[in-house]
Formats: sequence, C-alpha cells, structure tokens
Amino acid sequence: MVLLTLALVVPLATAILTFLARRTPGLQRGLSVAGAAALLAVSLVLGAEVVAGGPIAATMGGWPAPFGITLVADLLSAAMVVITGVIALAVAVYGLGEIDPAEERIGHHTLLHALLLGVTGAFLTGDLFNLYVWFEVMLIASFGLLALGGRPDQLDGAIKYVALNLVSTLAFLAGVGLLYGATGTLNMADLHGAVPDLDNATVVFTTAALLLFAFSVKSALFPVFFWLPASYHTPSVTTSAVFAALLTKVGVYALIRVFTLIYDAGMPLIQELLLVAAGLTMLTGVLGAAAQNDIRRILSFHIISQIGYMVLGLALYTPLAIVGAIFYIIHHIVVKANLFLVGGVVKKLTGSEDLARIGGLWAAAPWLGVLFLIPALSLAGIPPLSGFWAKLVVIKASLEAEHYVLAATALVVGLLTVYSMSKIWLEAFWKPHPEPARAAGRGLDRGESWALLAPIVGLAAITVLIGLVAAPFYAVSTTAADQLLDPSAYVTAVLGARP
Amino acid sequence: MELALAVLVGVLTTCAVYLMLSGNMVRFIFALALLSNAVNLVIFAAGRLTYAAPPLIADGAKAPADTVANALPQALILTAIVIGFGLLAFTLVLVHRAHQTLGTVEADDMRVAEPASDDDEAR
Amino acid sequence: MAVVTAPVAAAADAAPTGRPLARYGPALGSATACAGFAALIPTIADYSSIRVAWPWISGLGVELSFLIDGLALIFALLITGIGALVLAYSASYFKGHHKLVRLLVLLVLFELSMLGLVLADNLILMFVFWELTTVTSFLLVGFDHEKADARNKALQALLVTAAGGLALLAGILLIGAVAGTLEASALPAAAAALKADPLYPAILVLVLLGAFTKSAQFPFHFWLPNAMAAPTPVSAYLHSATMVKAGVYLLARLTPALGGTGPWLWTLTIVGGVTAVLASIWALRQTDLKLTLAYTTVMALGTLTMFLGGASAIALAAAVTFLIVHAFYKAALFLAVGILDKKAGSREIDQLGGLARPMWRTWVVVALAALSMAGFPPFLGFIGKELKYEGALAVASEPLLVVTFAVAANAMMVAVAGLVAIKPFLGPRTATAAKAGEPPFAMWLGPAVLATGGLVFGIAPELVGAALVNPTASVMIGDRVAKDFKLWHGVNIPLMLSILTFVLGVVIYLALGRIRRGLAAGEAHGLWAAESGYDGVLAGTKALAAWQTRVIQTGRQTQYFLWTTTVLAALLWAGLAMGGFAVMPRGVEAISLIELTMLALAAFGAVATVVTRSRLLAILALGLLGSAVAAIFVFYGAIDVAMTQLLVETLIVVIVAVALLRLPRLTPAPGLEVRWGHLGVALATGVATALALTAVLGTELDRRITDFFEQASATEAFGRNIVNVILVDFRALDTLGEIAVVVVAALGAVALLTRRREHREASR
Repeated sequence: MVLLTLALVVPLATAILTFLARRTPGLQRGLSVAGAAALLAVSLVLGAEVVAGGPIAATMGGWPAPFGITLVADLLSAAMVVITGVIALAVAVYGLGEIDPAEERIGHHTLLHALLLGVTGAFLTGDLFNLYVWFEVMLIASFGLLALGGRPDQLDGAIKYVALNLVSTLAFLAGVGLLYGATGTLNMADLHGAVPDLDNATVVFTTAALLLFAFSVKSALFPVFFWLPASYHTPSVTTSAVFAALLTKVGVYALIRVFTLIYDAGMPLIQELLLVAAGLTMLTGVLGAAAQNDIRRILSFHIISQIGYMVLGLALYTPLAIVGAIFYIIHHIVVKANLFLVGGVVKKLTGSEDLARIGGLWAAAPWLGVLFLIPALSLAGIPPLSGFWAKLVVIKASLEAEHYVLAATALVVGLLTVYSMSKIWLEAFWKPHPEPARAAGRGLDRGESWALLAPIVGLAAITVLIGLVAAPFYAVSTTAADQLLDPSAYVTAVLGARP
Repeated sequence: MELALAVLVGVLTTCAVYLMLSGNMVRFIFALALLSNAVNLVIFAAGRLTYAAPPLIADGAKAPADTVANALPQALILTAIVIGFGLLAFTLVLVHRAHQTLGTVEADDMRVAEPASDDDEAR
Repeated sequence: MAVVTAPVAAAADAAPTGRPLARYGPALGSATACAGFAALIPTIADYSSIRVAWPWISGLGVELSFLIDGLALIFALLITGIGALVLAYSASYFKGHHKLVRLLVLLVLFELSMLGLVLADNLILMFVFWELTTVTSFLLVGFDHEKADARNKALQALLVTAAGGLALLAGILLIGAVAGTLEASALPAAAAALKADPLYPAILVLVLLGAFTKSAQFPFHFWLPNAMAAPTPVSAYLHSATMVKAGVYLLARLTPALGGTGPWLWTLTIVGGVTAVLASIWALRQTDLKLTLAYTTVMALGTLTMFLGGASAIALAAAVTFLIVHAFYKAALFLAVGILDKKAGSREIDQLGGLARPMWRTWVVVALAALSMAGFPPFLGFIGKELKYEGALAVASEPLLVVTFAVAANAMMVAVAGLVAIKPFLGPRTATAAKAGEPPFAMWLGPAVLATGGLVFGIAPELVGAALVNPTASVMIGDRVAKDFKLWHGVNIPLMLSILTFVLGVVIYLALGRIRRGLAAGEAHGLWAAESGYDGVLAGTKALAAWQTRVIQTGRQTQYFLWTTTVLAALLWAGLAMGGFAVMPRGVEAISLIELTMLALAAFGAVATVVTRSRLLAILALGLLGSAVAAIFVFYGAIDVAMTQLLVETLIVVIVAVALLRLPRLTPAPGLEVRWGHLGVALATGVATALALTAVLGTELDRRITDFFEQASATEAFGRNIVNVILVDFRALDTLGEIAVVVVAALGAVALLTRRREHREASR
C-alpha cells in the first residue's frame, strides 16, 4: 500500500525541501504549504480507502510481519492522519501570517514538517519500538519549535517540557524492551496475541505500568501534566496551535491503541487508575484554566481538561465510550487548534494575550467574535456544535456504565468550561479596551489577514459541519471503535489470515 | 549475571532519578546519560545474555553456524543510543542557552514562563 | 415547516441597511410565521397533532423530529406573535442605534431557537434549542456590554441556566436509557416504567433542576431580575413572555411521563408556591418599574409551576390559561415601561407622575394590561384567576396550601397592577417627566395589541379556551379535556376568593409605603439575599481554582519531577503487586570476577556522578560508567553496540565537558546533604525497575524473530552482519527515524545558538 508510505514520505520530503530552500523564503513558504496540502490529500485518499475496505497494512522493505516493520491504518489511525493533514494545512497557512522571518530562516518550516512526520509515523506504525522512534522524532522537532524564538520564557518553558518528556520516553523505551523480553516480538498485532498468553502477571502489569506512565505524561493526564501549562503559552501561536492539536493527542492515541490492542483498558487496576485519572484530569485542568488570566494559558489548561474526557471514554471501555473518545479526539483537535489561532489574532489586534490589558473586540471586530464563539461554544459543549455530541456520547456512556460520579464530574467540568470561555469573551470581546486610545485596535494588512483568517474560517466550518452533520462522523467513530474492540481485521491486515 | 545486571539497572535508575530531583539542569544532563544507559541495559538483558559470538554470518554460510548473540536487541540499542545522543546534545545546548539567557541552571529559579507573581494574581 | 423558515428569510432581509422595510422585515417575517401557526389552530382544536421527522444521528436516538400539538402551538403562537410585535417595537426603539442590526439578528436567532425548543419532539433536539436560547439570551443580556454590570449579569444568567441545562441533559439521557426512546410523544407510553424505575428520583431531580433554573424558581430566581440589564424589548420578549417559560414548557411536556407522583406534586407545589409568594413580596419592594415587573414575572412562573404540580385537568387548564394571560399583559407592560423610560425619561416609580395627559395613549394601554393583571372582569386575567382558584380547590391533596399561595400572590399582583397603572400617570407632573410625549406608532402598537388582546379574549374566552387550552390540557393529562370557558360562573367559592383578593390587594396598595420601608430594612439585613449563594459558589470556585493551581502548577521543576517520578514508582510498584511479585529468576548463574568488576565499575561511576561536587569528576565518572557498560556489551557478543557506545560516550564526555566550562559549578552538592524524600522516590523507582527486569528474565524468550533474521540475513538480505542488516533492511524505518532525530536535534541546536547571536547583535 503505497498510500501508507506516502503519508510518511510527504512530510519527510517537505522537511528536507524546506531546509534546502531556507535561503529563498518565498519558495520555502510555498513548499511548506504545498507539503501540508499534499499530506492532507494523501490522508484523505487513505481515509477513503480505509472507510471503504477496512484496515490496510504495508510491510516496509517487503519483510513480512512480525519480522519487519509494518505500517498499518485502521479507521482510528486513518482518521487521526486525516485530522493531522487538516491541522497541517491550517497551521502551515497561518504560519505565513505569523511566523517571524528569522524563525522561518532558521528552521520553523522544517521543524514543523519533521513534527508532522513524527505524528503521522506514530499514528501509522504497527510496531511498538518504531512507535518509540516516531515519538522521539516528534519530540525533538517539538523541542526545536518550542525553543526557536530563544526568548527567556520560551527557554524556561522548553527546559521543563524537554526534561519531563525525556523521562517519559525513556520509560516508554524501557517498557518496550521488557515487553520484547517477555514476548519476543515488537509487532503490535503480534503482541495482541502474545500478551494474553503470558503466564507471568507481574510482567504484564509492570510493562503496562511503564507504558501507561509514558503515555499519561505524553497525554498530560493528572498528575503528570506539568510540562504542558509550563510551556504551551510560550512559543509562536502557530506552534502552540499545532502542539495543542496534535501532541497530547498522540499520547491519547497511543493509550487507546496499546490499551485496546495489546492490553485492555478493562484490566483490573488499569481501569480504576484510568477512571480516577480521567476524572481528576478533567477537573484539575478546568480549574487550572479558571485560575488563569492569559488567553493561551487558559487554553492550555483546557487541553488537559479535555484530555480527561477522551481518557474517560477509553477507561469506561464500553463500545459507546470508545466511540465517544474517538469522536472527542476528532472534534477537539479541530476546535483547540482553532482557539489558539483565534487567540493569535486577538493578540495581533489588541497587542496582548493578558485579559486585563485587552478588550473591545466585539465592537471593533465582530467577525472575530463570531469566529471565536464557534470553537469556544463547541469546546464548552454547546449544541449543535461538535463538542456537544462529543460530550453527549461520553456522558451517556458514563451513565450507562453507572459511573454516576464521573458523569457528574463531566457535566460540572462542562459548566466550568462555559465559565472560562465566557471569561475570555467578557474580557477580550465585551469589556471596553482599558486604553481607550487603542480601542479600535490595529487592523490586519491584507496578506496577513488572508493567511490568518482562512485557517480559522476553515476550522470553524469543520466544527459546524461536525456539529450539524454529525451522523457520518459518529458512524466513523463507531466503526473505528468496533475495530479497536475487535481487532481481528487489524491483526489479519498485518499478519495475514492465521490458521 | 542477568540478575546482577538487573541490580546494576536498579542502581543506575536510582542514581538518575535522584539526580533529576535535584533541579540542577547540569545534573539533569548527567541523569539523562545514566538513565539512557540503564534503559539500554534493560533492552540488552531482555534479549537475554549469552556468552556467544557476535551475530555475524561467516563467508559462504547461509546462517550462523553456532548460537550467536541475539541480534535484535542490539539493533534496538544502537538506534536508542543514537537517538539518546541526539536528545542529550540538544538538551545540553538548551541548558547552555537557558543559562546564558536566564542566568541560572537551577530549574526552580527559572520562573519566566510561570512567574511567581501568578500566585498573587490568582488570589 | 415553511412557517418556521419564514423569520429566517426575513432576518436575511434585515441586512445592514437602515431602510424601514429592512428594519421591519424581521417583524413581518415573524408575523407571517404567526399567521401560519394560527392556520393550524383548527387542526389542533380537533385534538389532533402533526409530527414530522428526519433522521439525524440515529445511532444516538437523535432525530430531527417536530411535533405540533396544543402545547407546542400555544407557545409557537406566543413566540411568533409577541416576537413580531417586539421586533417591530425594537426597530423603532433602537432606530439609528449602531447596534440595531446586531440586536435584530440576535432576536431572530433567539426566536428561531425558542420555536425549535417548543416544536421539537426529540428531547435531545429540544435540548439543542434549549441551549441555544441560553446562549442568545446571554448575548442579549450583555447587549450593553460596555457596562461591567451588564457583563456580570449576563454571565450570571448564563451560568445559572447552563448549570441547569447540564442537569437537564443528564436527566434526558437517563429518561432515554429507562424509556428506550427520546421522543417526547412516545414517552407517555413509557410513563409507568419511568415512574417505577429506581432512577426516577434522579431523573426528577435533574429535570426539575433544568426547569427551575430556566424558569427562575426559588432559589434560582435571582438571575431573572438581574437579566433586566438587557434592553427593555429583550426583557419583554425573552425574560417575560418566552424564554423563561421554557422551564414551564418542559414541565408541561413531561407531565404525562413524569407527573402525577407524590414527589412531583410536592416539589412543584412548594417550590412554585414559595417562588410566587416571595417574588410578589420582592415585587412590592422595587422602585424601578422594570424590576417590579421582573419580580412579578418570577411570581407568574412560580404560579405556573405550582399549578403544573397538581395533576388534575382543571389545575392544568388553569396553568395554560394563566400562561396566555400573563404573556399578554406582561409583555404589554414591559414594552410600556420601555416607552416610559424612553419618552418620560425614567423607570423609577418615584420620578414618574402626572403622565396621564401627555401620554394618555400609553396610559390606556397600561391600564388595560394592568386590569388584566389584577384579574378584573371582563379581562382574560379574570378568567385565568377564577380558573386558578378552581384548580387550586381541585388539587386533591393540599387544596388549602395551594389556595393560600394563590390568593396571597394574586393580592400582591393587584397592588402591583395599581402601582404600575396609577402611580406614574396620576398626581402632579414630576421634573423628570417634564418633556414626556407619546411614542412612535411602531412602539405603541405592540403593547396596544397585547393589552387589547387581554380584553378581547376575556370577553370571548372560547377563542382561546376551546381552541388551545383544552387541547393543551389534554396533551398533559393524557385524556380529553373539554372545559367550558365562561366569564360568569355564578356565585361560587372562586368568586368569593376573587373578592377577597381584591380587598387584600387594595389594602396592600394603600400600605405600600410602609411595606416597602419594612422590606428595605429586611433587605439591609441580608434577608432576601438568595443571590449570595451564587456569589459564594462563584467565589468559592475561583478560590478553589486558584488554590489548586498554586498547589499543583507551582512553576517549580523539582516539584514537577517529584510528582512525575513518584507516579512512575507508584505505578511500577502497583504493577509488581498486581502481578503478585512473580520476580524469581530462572536460576542463579555463576558470575565471573571480571564481569563483577565491570558491573562494580559501572555502579561506582553512577554513584560517583551523584555524590561528586566536582564537574570534572562527574564527567569522568560518566565516562567510566559508559566504558564499563560498553565492556559488558562486548562480553555478550554485542561488538557493534559496544563500539557505538564508546564512540557516543566519548562524544558526550567531550561536549559535556566543553559545555560545562561555560556552566556554573555544581552547588549545592546533593551528595553531602542527602534529601531523604528524593532518595526514597529514587530507590523506589530503581528497585522496581530492577524487579520488573528480573520478572521478565524469569520467562523464556521467544526467539522466532531473531531466528528469522539469522536465517534470512544472508540468503534474502545479503548481509553478513545481522545487526547491520536489521538496521538497514529489516527495521530500516527505525533507522530513518533515528537519522531524523539526530538531524533535527542538530538543526534545533544550531537554531538555538543562531538565535543567541541574533539576539546579541540586535541588542548591540
């Protein structure tokens, strides 16, 4: 399946080409956007293929699984890659209007596409060690993007981000090593068969513990999310947006993949831990957001809170709950990226992200108000936007599983989300600008406004689309969940039909 | 020997974690090196230790004649070592830059991204 | 469905032009829709209903299903009819205002949401519209958002109703789980199952929370008077005639499914009754006419809730009739207060007086509406009140309680009606009202039509009674209701109660000054401050948020590390414990001295790195460790690894050494002052890792993949160094990623250093 390879080749080639073109900024920008568009195109074809024909797999170098490395896309992977393509294009375009030319010259585009390479690699690989490698590609690219500006706050944020994430990947690597030692294989479809056969429960649980830890850090679960609020508000808005959209979601993806295919999230202790962590993640994240006064810091804490919903879906481990988790991820990536992008425009127009120092936007730029309200209300779960259905499914699943406390938590967190979104609205949009002289704000010049607004409008349109025409998205999530809970199609695609 | 190697892994991990907790970013670099070594040893041991020849195939042979050491973990470790080196080198540069800009290598004294005055604001 | 889309087209017409046709377009659209609904009256009067449905998200049981029965139609008529009048009024009220278009757009959006709410059959669909009314209401309450007060009150309205909304959502989901359907029209069939289910109390609480917050029942009532920060036409429309009745609508809609039980009856009766009485007392206290009306709206909502509690046909008919009565007179009065505000310069009762002459047309309207409010014959208000007393007496379990609540609240309504109709218009002209004059026609039309309606329908009550009230009551009771609507019932208990009400009302009106002073004194003591609950919760949440964030996200890396590594250690130990500590190795092999030496050297290197205070020693120790590990690799046939290890370790030592020259010394040395907590966590992690490894070593390795590599390496991949073949062929993708990591790391590092130079040059 050449498509699977293409999904990696496109970002890789784009990263290399943008590096080579670093002395001709126009070309470099064009390549970056074209590469992102190509990734989206490839991902859409891939998605269509998987929707039509079920999981597909491709052996690398022609070595059959479980010996060589296999790329594999079931519906979850394909959906994640499609959404990655969407975000790639959005941030590639947005970056044209935002990124400092100096940062472009020293590698913004290359790092961005390297990051995308790591992300798509992580979504598509069918090999656990290879997953570790893509994690590292993603991580090192994100380190670079984070520290690229070289401002003191960026360096500070990067230090915390780098240090905590390195611990998590080393735990991941140790887990992979131990799991290999116990099963003799690294292929995830193969592990699906091998792990249940292990007769030493200590091995099962300790390896599960290491992977759980690693992915929890990556997903920013309570109580190991510190790196995220410490760093996400510091880099360029473009970088923040792509981080917010994709990085933690790779962690959540890995949790879902590993704890459905290799282990199952319904395992004793693992399930309880995930449930408690999900509840506390929702709660502490949203409370953290409520305590902030800076747009991007509010949004960063919200990422954590929303991760809680996704993990809750996994932890409940019922078919409906997994559907909810997947629907939530798809919705959230679009919405969260968009909120960061809108935050960037707010900053451009008012000169700050500190809510105390800005205001007057509802009068000065009502169009931006509408563009903010769509993702903000969606995030808060207001119908008929995408977030409503996402929350609805997760809460319904909680109620049906009789986890009433968690359902109540999810609802209360929804209310607190309304509160903190309305806080941004009240302060940035409704409140008059504290310096009347700046009330009108500065306008965007034409090229800039096109680059900044087109992605925002596009993502907002997707949010509305998912909300109004939720049925196909729900259907895809359902099929994806079915494939996760009964991975026989996945396993067959990778290993071939077993006698 | 495998057991002894497990003990060594334990020692390395303990030392690494302890160093990390110091908050000194230079020590963190050391910790990173220690932990990388520990994890590499984990993979190595997980491939089982054999007093055997390196996994090479003699000229003309189709496969190793005798038992050879497990090649797969070796390949994994090689990958991990190189990746680990890349990360460590970057981290080192980052710490160096942070020191230049922030004037400290004590992570707890780096309070630019999350200023201490937050506590007052939040009230 | 054409009727529903009419206002949309009209809203599109509203366009950002100031032309009259555009300004009045939404009103015309709404009026058209109203006429469309009116055309359905004969169908509904025949006790039939219309249902249309399209699939939406079938997997979740969510359909785009709409139902028009008596209940839906009454609301639809009120929404579109009053909507038309309010839209016309607004176009005139805000003529020339720069935010006119925004206002009209929001009002039309609200109207559509509200229509959707009452027409939806699917409960989730209804909830979708329910939340949309909350959002549009938020945006409308904060219309004057330059004022901090308007912002805060909009937020309050949003949070209170959104909180209730979320409870309602949970309630709906539970209803769906128990009843197996989300269609309101299918719920009566499942009523028995619902009421018998152990989840019934939970469902009831959740649904009632939704209804009570939306319809401003005690103790959630406070947001509604505060929502008066909205422009007056908005208040008239949303916060009196329509949106606040959504909760009442919900109760009515769910009566057949959930009503008739003891808990339902008691909760609705008591909450509704208490709300009605307290609100009418608060209404007396106010001096701002708009606030007075707001509290009487709360009173009306309480009354409606109370009557919905009693599951008798007559009580429900009373509720429906009063719903119509109230919508007419209250919207009229609100709009009239808007006129006073605009044309007489104030809404404060003490600043108004003597307006009867300059504003006689307005006075006529106010008087008509107030007479209906006070329940004088031959107004519809009289019929509504008689029905209420009849209904109260018919409430089987507690007639006395309901009658007492009803009489008390109504008497105070009489007093308020007097206050509104008499005080501003009679007596000497006040200074504020000096320049008073009549409003433009478009502003006068709305209240005039509504107030006249109260009279017309009072004289000919069958127009609403048989056509709308009976079919609606039938929907709720699940049986055909055919109540006769007459102005004169003869001398009976309700009439006696009416007379008692008037007498009490007049007494209260006369004693109003004294009552108000008394209430003001009580208020000073915080007697009426139910709102403090909201403030407390909000402040508490903020404080909790600030506290937890201070505790968790401290900004201190050591804290972050401590939590993170503790979690790692805890998870590992939990894993070991869950597995029953099955960590026995296969058997202890002999270990040679040289091996032991290597291990000891490595361990020594590690420990030395920790304890040394010297940077140089630390680097050397690191080098020692690396070399010892390389030696271990050599021992077990990993030559390539050992060589790479040595190379990389050397590189590391060199670059760390170079970098360290620029970095500060290692102080304080942790080796000298042991941090026991840290050591504990470190040991826990280390020991657990070692044990986990031991557990794995206790199992047999499945070597089939390595076997394959050994067989295929030379024959298929044409390489004799198996490790190399794995790297460049079998697992080439890993190597690709590895190269990517190193290249990107280099790029990042160079970028970091370049930026430094740039920053430095820039600062020069």
